[in-house]
Amino acid sequence: MSSILCLLSVQDGRIKRSSLEAMSHANTLARAEGWSLEAVLLGSKAADLAETAGRHGADRVLVIKDPVFDSHLNAPLLAGLEAVVKAASPRLVVAASTESVKDVLGALAVRCDAAVLPDVASFSVQGERIVCERPVMAAKKLARTESSHPLVFVSVRSGSYEVKEAQGAGTVVDVPFQFDAATLGLTLREIVKSAGDTVDLSEARVVVAAGRGVRDASGKALVDELASITGAAIGASRAVVETGLFPATAQIGQTGKVVSPDLYFAVGISGAVQHTAGMANSRVIVAINKDPDAPIFDLATYGLVGDCFTILPLLNAELKKVMASR
Amino acid sequence: MKFCVCIKQVPDVQASVQTGRMVLNAYDASAVEEALVINEGTDDPVDLVLIGSASATETIRKALAMGASEATHLVAEGEGLDSHAVAALLAAHFEGHAYDVILTGKQSQDTDAGLAGSMLAERLGLPYATNAVGLRAEGDTLVVTRQGDAGQEILALKTPCLVTCSNDMNNPRIPALKGIMAAKRKQIDTRSITPPGPRTRVTTTLEPPGREPGVKLEGEAADMVAELVRRLDAEANVL
Repeated sequence: MSSILCLLSVQDGRIKRSSLEAMSHANTLARAEGWSLEAVLLGSKAADLAETAGRHGADRVLVIKDPVFDSHLNAPLLAGLEAVVKAASPRLVVAASTESVKDVLGALAVRCDAAVLPDVASFSVQGERIVCERPVMAAKKLARTESSHPLVFVSVRSGSYEVKEAQGAGTVVDVPFQFDAATLGLTLREIVKSAGDTVDLSEARVVVAAGRGVRDASGKALVDELASITGAAIGASRAVVETGLFPATAQIGQTGKVVSPDLYFAVGISGAVQHTAGMANSRVIVAINKDPDAPIFDLATYGLVGDCFTILPLLNAELKKVMASR
Repeated sequence: MKFCVCIKQVPDVQASVQTGRMVLNAYDASAVEEALVINEGTDDPVDLVLIGSASATETIRKALAMGASEATHLVAEGEGLDSHAVAALLAAHFEGHAYDVILTGKQSQDTDAGLAGSMLAERLGLPYATNAVGLRAEGDTLVVTRQGDAGQEILALKTPCLVTCSNDMNNPRIPALKGIMAAKRKQIDTRSITPPGPRTRVTTTLEPPGREPGVKLEGEAADMVAELVRRLDAEANVL
C-alpha cells in the first residue's frame, strides 16, 4: 500500500500548527486514495507527541528519540529524515514550509532521489501525478506545477489548510538511528533569540504588523499595546526591521515569514509586493496608512486613511473596552 | 578565501509594472557583495557561474562590474530547467574547480523555490548553511549567522562549504563607471550545455485568486475607529 509521510515540526514542546494543517490535508488525500498516513517526530520528546499525531489521522508515528534534534542543525536532521523516508518508502512526503524544513528539503531530495514541489498553496494526487499550485513572481502569479516522479516531497505554506482532527491508530514505531557528530563539517555555536517573541508569528490567529509609518519607539509601544490587547503576534516590514526597531524574526514577506491569520493589522505599511507576498492570504486585513493611495488599501478588508499615531491610541482604547466586556 | 558565487538572471518582479526587464537576482547580488567585502584587500578571487540564456551575459557583466573576478556562462536556452537540473549542472561545473566557499542566493525572485543551494551542497558533499544573514571568515572556518524559525543560529562551517544568502545580509553596491569599464575586459568562459530532464513541470500560470473589494473609511479618526471596531465585531466576527 502506498503512503503519505508527514514531517511534523516541533517548537517549544508542541507540534507546530502549520505541520498539523499540512497533515490534515494529507489525511484527506490518503483516505481518498486508500493510502496509509504516517507521521515523523524527531527529538527527545518525540514519543510524547505521538498521541497528537494519532489524533490528526496518523496510522503510524515514526520516531527517533534523540536529543540531537532538539535544536536545529541540518546535517543530523538530514541523516534522521533520510533514515525515516527509507524506512517508510512513501509515495509522497509532506511538511510545513518552515525555515528548518527549507534548510534541508533540497539536500534530502538529492539523498532520497525525490522530486520537490516547494512552498505550495495547495496540492493533490491526480493518478500518477502530484499536482500543486504555488505562488511565483512575488506571489503575483500562481504556477500550477506537477511531478510524476516516483517519490515527491511537498512543503506547504502556513495557513493553506484548516486543522482537522481525525482518529488514526497512532502506533509508535522507533526508527534505528546513529549519528557520528565527528563527521560533521559544521557546528552550532549558539542560538540568539530576540526579545519579545512571545507569540509565534506563523502560528498566530491575529497579527499586528508595523511598517515605516511606525517611526520610533513611541510608535512601537502603540503597536505592542494593540498586540497585547488582541493577543496578537508582532510582525514587521523589511524597512522597519532594517531600522532595528523590530527583530529580524518579525519580518513578514517574500524574504521573511508567510502568515495567513484571521485578522491582520497593517500599521503604517505601504504594501510593496515584497511584503504582501507574505500576508495576502490573511482572512481580514485592516490597513492603517496616511497615504490614501498606498497599495496596501487594494488588499484591505477595512482601510483607515490616517496617521497611525492618531488612530492607534483611539483604536487601542476602543478595543480594550470591547475585550473587557467579553 | 576563494569564492565562487552562483548567480541567476530573473525578471524584475519588484517593479509594479512588468516590462520584461531582466535583472540580477537580488539574493545573488547580496551573495556577490558579501564575498567582495570578505575578500577586500586580498588577491583571492570572487568568481561567478550563471546558467541561463545567451542574453544573460548582461547580468554577468553587472556582477563583474561590482568587482567579481571572472565568470563562466553555461548557456541553456528555453524553459523547463527545474532546481534539480540546475543543481546537477552546477555540480558538474564545480567538479573541475577548488573553491573554499560557494555562495548563492537563498532563492530566486521569480520561482521562490529555494532548493538549488542545498541540492548542490549535497551533490558536492559539502557542509552548508541556508538563509544566511551574516558571514565572517575565521581562519579556514566560515562563521555563518542564519535566520532560523525561532531566532538566529550561529554556525561554524569548515571550508570548503556552501552558503545560501538572504538579502538582509547587506546592501549590494551599485557598480561605478570604473567597475563597468573594467568588467568589459574581464573574461567570460561561455559554454553550451544540455540540461538533464526536469523532475517537475509548470503546466499553467494563473492569476492568484482576487480578494473581495474592501471598505475604505475616511474622516474623523474617532469615527473611523468606532466604525472599524463595530465592523470587526459584527461583520467580520474576528474579535
